[in-house]
Amino acid sequence: MPKCLVCYKWTLDEKDIKIKPEDLSLDTSRAKGKISDFDRNAIEEATRIVEQHGGTVHALTYGTSAVSESLKDVLSRGPETIYWISDNSAETADACVTANVLAAAVRKLESYDLILCGEGSSDLFNQQTAARLAALLGLPCITYVEKLSVEGDTVRATRKLADCTEVATVKGPVVLSVLGTINKPRIPSLKQVLGAAKKPKKEIKIADLGLNAEQLHPKSIHKTVKGFVAKRKTIIYREANAAANVGKLTSSLAAEGLL
Amino acid sequence: MNFQLTEEQRLIEQSAHDFAKEYLDPVVEQLDHTGDFPKAIIKELANHDFLGLHLPADVGGAGAGFVSYVAVIESLSRSCAAVASIMNNQAMVSYAIQHWGTEAQKKQYVQALVKGETIGAFAIYEHGPTPGIGPDALAATKRDGGYVLKGTKAYVRNAGEAGVYVAFAITDSAEPNALTAFVVDAKATGLKVGPKLNTMGLRGCPVAHVTFDNVSVPETAVLGAVKSGREIATRVLTLASVAEAAQTVGIGQAALEHAALYAKQRVQFGKPVATLQAVQTLLAEAATDCYLARLGLRSAAQLIEDAKPFETEAAIVKSFLARLGSKILVDTCQVEGGMGYSEAMPLPRLFRDIAGTTLLDAPADFPDYAIAASIA
Repeated sequence: MPKCLVCYKWTLDEKDIKIKPEDLSLDTSRAKGKISDFDRNAIEEATRIVEQHGGTVHALTYGTSAVSESLKDVLSRGPETIYWISDNSAETADACVTANVLAAAVRKLESYDLILCGEGSSDLFNQQTAARLAALLGLPCITYVEKLSVEGDTVRATRKLADCTEVATVKGPVVLSVLGTINKPRIPSLKQVLGAAKKPKKEIKIADLGLNAEQLHPKSIHKTVKGFVAKRKTIIYREANAAANVGKLTSSLAAEGLL
Repeated sequence: MNFQLTEEQRLIEQSAHDFAKEYLDPVVEQLDHTGDFPKAIIKELANHDFLGLHLPADVGGAGAGFVSYVAVIESLSRSCAAVASIMNNQAMVSYAIQHWGTEAQKKQYVQALVKGETIGAFAIYEHGPTPGIGPDALAATKRDGGYVLKGTKAYVRNAGEAGVYVAFAITDSAEPNALTAFVVDAKATGLKVGPKLNTMGLRGCPVAHVTFDNVSVPETAVLGAVKSGREIATRVLTLASVAEAAQTVGIGQAALEHAALYAKQRVQFGKPVATLQAVQTLLAEAATDCYLARLGLRSAAQLIEDAKPFETEAAIVKSFLARLGSKILVDTCQVEGGMGYSEAMPLPRLFRDIAGTTLLDAPADFPDYAIAASIA
């Protein structure tokens, strides 16, 4: 019976983020948190595997103090235990720091057969955490997973690549990053929401992970983040004849190299 | 004092919001057009524990409180108030049987209602000025160790789809105010559901008159004590009025969000109309109305959850929302101008749903008597 660990990120909900027109900076003051989209798929996939084969699902996260808001939400979606690391370093952590912290935490926990991540986070979408985590743990890594099955100790994953699909099979512990198409995350029932309060939530202090300052120092730093506002040309073709309007539109698109 | 939802309440609200996006948004226009009863959606509501939200765990409920209940109703109403209305009426019946029913009544009906296997209908109103008075008032005559029910209940929601009715009848014509509640199976001989009324709003939540043509029920069909029906009805209808206020807030919020989106996209005088002061005033007033209404609503719900007296506050919320609901819709419709008036947009449906929510039950000014009585 597989022992699964899902690593997830608590991000800001992009629909609540506003772009300030004066300097295009982001106003996140009223943005609520959410489980990063693909990580939600990872939680769902691990939960489905365990529902099918038995076993356990644990969840692990690293974030700022806001991450404590995520615990019951995650537990309501299937995992039976959650481990959380809350530290200010997460504010500026890049994928390298995140992987260092997660790998150190995994080493302290029990051994897992499957470690699942989302393919990329909703905010930065660097697509690096799973690969870096696997490298640090010395495990194989399968990315872009859109289909997953487990038979005994064999994991079979279908990867969706740019121009083809690829089936990868691996035995033993493995790190996987899943796409949003792998499943449709469930809407927790009210009993699952209320039952989440009774599940164990275990905090891991970053100081107990044995990481040095270098491992917690980000290699890439975001100095500013600006929103992108598409400028529309607002061209309206006003010919009486619809065919003439279509002709003008296609000519215009062709002139811009879009057709 | 904390005006915010707890973490559990927030997650329950989020679940309802996600449920509405997945199950209600895709069908709401079709439901409004056809008026068909959404059986599959009601089953999904049950699968997600919404139908037993307010009931204890030992009968299959989720055991969440009334604050969660109104948060769910508001969230569902933002997408489809008709489904919220079906759920409200279902809850009125399951609540009544759970609170006043015998063990046998609970066993037979409550779990089936929670699982969505049975639909419930609360049959209180009549064509006369008040239940118990009028030529076709439902009367229960004692006969052969049971009762025979004769009369008509008017504007019964969930009628026709319901498997069980909680119906209120007079047992003594000399005491028209002394109602008795009966739990009546829909299959009872003589129970006839009239044609579904073609209602203005909340289409999908069926409304019909139900005739009891000498329906024989055993004595065990009495809910609570004989002649205690008025107290049962008052309690349930007062709770329902708070839930209906949540429905109104949800519809208002949906209208506000749609109007705000429209105002950002609609360009006049070279800029989005959202930048025009007149439009901003309309949006600001609607947002203010929704915000304050929600505070009042949740305050009343908290009193209910804390088992404190809530009748006056429930009346205040009902009265306030009955007036405000229409105002929010007028304001938001103004924002969208001629386009908002078009059936191609959701505002006409929301307008009709507000009417269905605030007009179908007791008249909007009815709570004023309860409020005045509490202060003078």
